Amino acid sequence: MHLIIKAQGEGAGMLSRLLAKNPYNLYDRTDKEARVRIVFTSASEVETEAVIYATPDPIDFVRGPSAPEDITQYINDREFVTSSLFCSYIRAALGTALNGRPKEEYLPWVDHRFGLELTFGPVASNLPDRIVEELFTALGYDIEITRGDGVYSFDLKSRSTVRRIRLRGEQTLQTALRQLFVLIPALDDYKHYFISGDEIDKIRRYGEGWLDSHPQRGLILKRSLRFANLIKQYEEFGRGLPGSSPESDASDAQKPQETQETQASSDGEETKEPKVRLNDLRYAAIADAVEALPSKAAVVDFGSGEGKLSARLVSVPGVKRIYAVEPSAVSQLRAMERFAKLEGKPGVTVPTPVTGSLFYYDESLRNQDVMILCEVIEHIDEHRLARVMETILAEYAPKVLILTTPNKEYNEFYEMEAGTMRHNDHRFEWSRKQFSGWCGSWCERYSYSVEGKGIGEPSEAFGYPTQMAVFTRKESEV
Amino acid sequence: MREQEQERQEGQRVISLPHAGIVVLIGASNSGKTSLIQRLTEEGTLRPSEAVSSDAYRILVGDEEYIDWKHRPREEADIVYNDYQRLSELAFEAMNTIVAMRCRLGKLTVVDATHLQAEHRKKYIDLAQQYDVPCTAWVLDLPEATLLERDAGRDHPRGRQRVKQQFGQLKRSLRGIRDEGFDRTYFIKTTDGLQFKRRENQLLVEIGEGMDIIGDIHGCYDEMIELLDQLGYVPDREGLYRHPEGRQLVSVGDIMSRGPQSLRTMSFWMRHVDAGIARMIDSNHGWKIARYLDGRKVELSHGDENVAAELEAYAKEAGQEAANGLREKLKRFLLSAPGHLLFCRDGVRRLVVTHAGIRDEYIGKQSKRIQDFCRYGDTEFTAGQSAPVRKEWYVHHNSGEIIVWGHDPRPYPAVVKNTVNIDQGVVFGGALTAYRYPEQQFISVKAHRDYAADPDSPLIRWERGRFSPPNLRKFVDGYAVQTDLYGEVKVRGELVKAALDTVSHYTIPLEELVYLPPTMSPPPDVAADEAYLEHPREAIAYFRAQGVQTMVAEKKHMGSRAILLLFRDEQAGQAYVGRPTLGTIYTRTGRAFFDAKTEAEVLGKLNADLRAAAYFDHNDTDLVLLDAEIVPWNLKARELISAQYAHVAEAAVMDREQLLGKLREAEQDGREVTEWIAEMEEKLQSAQTFREAFQKYCWDVDGLEGIRIAPFHTLAHSNRTFFGETHVWHMEHSRELTRASSLFLETEYRTIASEADEAEVIRWWQDMTEEGHEGIVIKPGTFIFRNGGSRMIQPALKVRGRKYLHIIYGIDYLQPENLRRLKQRKTGKKERHALMESALGVESVERFIRKEPLERVHECVLAALALESDPVDPRL
Repeated sequence: MHLIIKAQGEGAGMLSRLLAKNPYNLYDRTDKEARVRIVFTSASEVETEAVIYATPDPIDFVRGPSAPEDITQYINDREFVTSSLFCSYIRAALGTALNGRPKEEYLPWVDHRFGLELTFGPVASNLPDRIVEELFTALGYDIEITRGDGVYSFDLKSRSTVRRIRLRGEQTLQTALRQLFVLIPALDDYKHYFISGDEIDKIRRYGEGWLDSHPQRGLILKRSLRFANLIKQYEEFGRGLPGSSPESDASDAQKPQETQETQASSDGEETKEPKVRLNDLRYAAIADAVEALPSKAAVVDFGSGEGKLSARLVSVPGVKRIYAVEPSAVSQLRAMERFAKLEGKPGVTVPTPVTGSLFYYDESLRNQDVMILCEVIEHIDEHRLARVMETILAEYAPKVLILTTPNKEYNEFYEMEAGTMRHNDHRFEWSRKQFSGWCGSWCERYSYSVEGKGIGEPSEAFGYPTQMAVFTRKESEV
Repeated sequence: MREQEQERQEGQRVISLPHAGIVVLIGASNSGKTSLIQRLTEEGTLRPSEAVSSDAYRILVGDEEYIDWKHRPREEADIVYNDYQRLSELAFEAMNTIVAMRCRLGKLTVVDATHLQAEHRKKYIDLAQQYDVPCTAWVLDLPEATLLERDAGRDHPRGRQRVKQQFGQLKRSLRGIRDEGFDRTYFIKTTDGLQFKRRENQLLVEIGEGMDIIGDIHGCYDEMIELLDQLGYVPDREGLYRHPEGRQLVSVGDIMSRGPQSLRTMSFWMRHVDAGIARMIDSNHGWKIARYLDGRKVELSHGDENVAAELEAYAKEAGQEAANGLREKLKRFLLSAPGHLLFCRDGVRRLVVTHAGIRDEYIGKQSKRIQDFCRYGDTEFTAGQSAPVRKEWYVHHNSGEIIVWGHDPRPYPAVVKNTVNIDQGVVFGGALTAYRYPEQQFISVKAHRDYAADPDSPLIRWERGRFSPPNLRKFVDGYAVQTDLYGEVKVRGELVKAALDTVSHYTIPLEELVYLPPTMSPPPDVAADEAYLEHPREAIAYFRAQGVQTMVAEKKHMGSRAILLLFRDEQAGQAYVGRPTLGTIYTRTGRAFFDAKTEAEVLGKLNADLRAAAYFDHNDTDLVLLDAEIVPWNLKARELISAQYAHVAEAAVMDREQLLGKLREAEQDGREVTEWIAEMEEKLQSAQTFREAFQKYCWDVDGLEGIRIAPFHTLAHSNRTFFGETHVWHMEHSRELTRASSLFLETEYRTIASEADEAEVIRWWQDMTEEGHEGIVIKPGTFIFRNGGSRMIQPALKVRGRKYLHIIYGIDYLQPENLRRLKQRKTGKKERHALMESALGVESVERFIRKEPLERVHECVLAALALESDPVDPRL
């Protein structure tokens, strides 16, 4: 990771003085995280160039307290690319210039606009060249982007994922560095990132005088601060709102968590299905169906995920026990947080989280009143489904089994591309005929009767977006 | 009885010595015990080591045979007497320890001491019973006058009073001795004119020209004749089936009951056993019928009632007298059936035939307990269950003989640790199996129909239960798997839950997930050579230190690990995994290796190729289970390579090229940066090495073109696993596979037996890894190896190349300062995991091949997955 600053023309020799470095000496400092070096490749009054580079310790790098147990972490671009880490490594070395406090005799040069050429990289950024260019052209720089070597002996990628950026323009050294100290971290892709409250302060200081008028201000803030509450704090501070001083929150560091974008994509179950509260409609339809049942004391929510349906069922009158059965520990943990909030509410049955899976057998789930598989079966490979249904109908034998699954025909109404499914993990989606035929075949084999329903906004041609089947055990034969 | 007849030969009384167990001599001092032993030894009837005497042990332990206390002053006598008592006590303790050990080994021991008190004799009876050997009493009942006369003439006379006292003790004992529990008691008034003869162990049989062992017949006479026909037996003029080569027929018992022709089958075996050309083992049904014929009150059930019905019908047909005669003959025949037989060649035990099972320590011995064990197996009655629960005695068999057994029907002959089950439930519509020895082949005849028509037959129960979903409650809070190799492997609840998540979302169906490859450790010691992190020398040294003489070094392909379960046809798939499929190919974490379309193509081609090469026919198997590496690496890892390795390589090269250029400019301008330049040159070189390293393992594929599968372990065929084979065998077998299909890729290997081999392997490794290949895996010659302390050792160690390790430990790992720190790595946990996962892997395949219930196979696989979610430094 490196930054090359070149000044040309009048006063170029002042560069080394503003940096407070003797251009004929080597600067070489090692602190606990990295070794930082500066060397001048030229030092004349018309052209001076400083090369700044940092070398983090590659072994300690991966041994840090949060080093995850994943092999990919040991081969890490963090060791090479320019990032907020790079900025923090070199900050002390460039402190004089950043703060504009050279020796008094050079002070007049602090505000001098040099003919600057700034080269830095490698940059790992998912921003397209167009945006990257805009970030800098808006500040008056000419920009030149060079890609790394992305040619391999086999078909791997169309181009390199690292870039080197060269900027040319007239700017004071201090402003140029401050712009880089904001924009280098903003360019960088690092996602899971510990951002402390004083980051706001840093952006405010370094961004002073240019950031607020930058056309990509929103993007820069979002990529720098990542979290909505930090951005809000920044904005409020800017407007001078009382009680929101970032300093007061400095100790209240943000926990690393997923970015807004990632959350949005991983959160909802349905990604391609318009979110016309179909989830809520489904929960409501299931809750109504359960409420209408004569026996509903014990309900098993199989594949309960983060517990939304279970949490919805707690207020259904007559439901006394809810088993929220889920194989994923992560989902179960979220469900438990959700359930904890229900604790102590009057008339509410707090669901019991159960680790379980449809591919296993759990005798504690036998002979319950209601078993629900809400949007579950389509996540099971079709050839495995029969065994799952056998376990449910023959072994668990609930009085009532409620299944919901997407109606494939309706995808056309959503104007989805033919052949695509509503979720990446769907192993199949069925038409109304397929689903009802399949349900009927199970009734023939086991003594259940079945009734079908639709959920959501119906379309005349395609039916409802979600199909529901309610299987009822024939009591006479039990 | 025959034995009593034998006891007189040519007018002389004959006393027989059992082949094993304890002969307790009983008699006062001077009754001639020692002389008798001396005589037997001189005659050659007894080996000197087969006799122990308390006198000899008193000398061994305390230097004195006898201490005389009687002629001493009273105060001395007490002390001396106490000394003698103590000496005697310890001498007996030592002697009895030896007797016990001899009993364990099934040896004969004659104990020479007076044994005048019942409690002393009881000790031997108990001891013999404990070790399942007979205990015989020889009572030397000589006149008092003779005893006194002899005492006077000996070196250390015991004295009149003592002799008289002993004589009295004996006389008082005489009447009760017979009831004390000896298997046999002889009273000897004089040894003159007595003959002593040793009996052979009736359970030992010479293998001779070979044998054909037949599984449970249960009256399926027609199938039996068909099978004998296939085995090459031909009826002679008297209707006796003989093999032209003189092979012998052996039945594991249960020849009757349940099926259509019990009487005919029993008569068949009786005639052949009487003619000395066949043998039949005692069994639960056989014993029940024997006691029924003996007039005991037994309840006939489980098909035994059919035998009674057949006998009644016979009586009607042939008359009561003929029926009675037959009953008597059959009774004698069945009662004389041995509990098990031990077949030997050149005096070495090779094969045991038993009905329901046997423990290693019972082999070659006879007792009621052993008879019961052989008849019923290892049964344990659990409260609340009406039927006994069968325990798996066979997993404890370690003594090396092949044990052939029946009793417990399973769909296919099951081979577990040198035990072979050949009851394929012909009477339940299964098959009648013969096991040929020494060929070790199975020949079966399908049942003509399901005679028992039992809707709950063992075969139906087996099939019905096989694919039931595993009971999650057994696992979810942590559990232990009893493995054959490692003993108990425990997994913690939180790890199981993580594994469960994987199994529920990502893996192939549980029934098809029959094995997960174990993790592998690098050598426990890092390279002594300072230029390397890993080196073959340390791996070879590890194995040598564990007592391994020969090793195999196999080239490690850099691709993605894959397990291939390939079936002969879809029906075979149905039988083994419960759905019609040609097989499955999955990753080391149990996920489908290919997308559905490619998998179908690969499976289709492999199936066609293997069938064309007659692989399944030739190996007499319906399946083959392979552990393999599939190349190229980018086939599976393209995204990872692109986003991780290539991306980092591009960053490093870009950074270092730029900086190197700038440093050179600085040098030109007069800066003292020579060292920095040297450093940067080296680092740029490292970055380029890194960038080239992974490209070695990648190439473009087009459809199946370019995909290669390198099998290195052939884990199993139907009916057998190959964990007992050497790695050279596995490599050779892989070669057979490469000849069968162009998709298969051969793996280069070398054997290491000498220093020269070691040098050659190191050279080979160096050349290969300098070219960028990943490295080699060094394994002990055999799949499973235990060291002197009989602990399992690492089944394999990987030794990765210097270049390859760049992509594991980072671009600059070879910088001396980095390497120094990296060499402090610890492999202990990785090694433990490797052992446990290997044991689980072997266990799951064994269980799968035995067609054990899904839950039993899955508990191993789930445990291995759970262990994999236990964090271990992933760079190891």
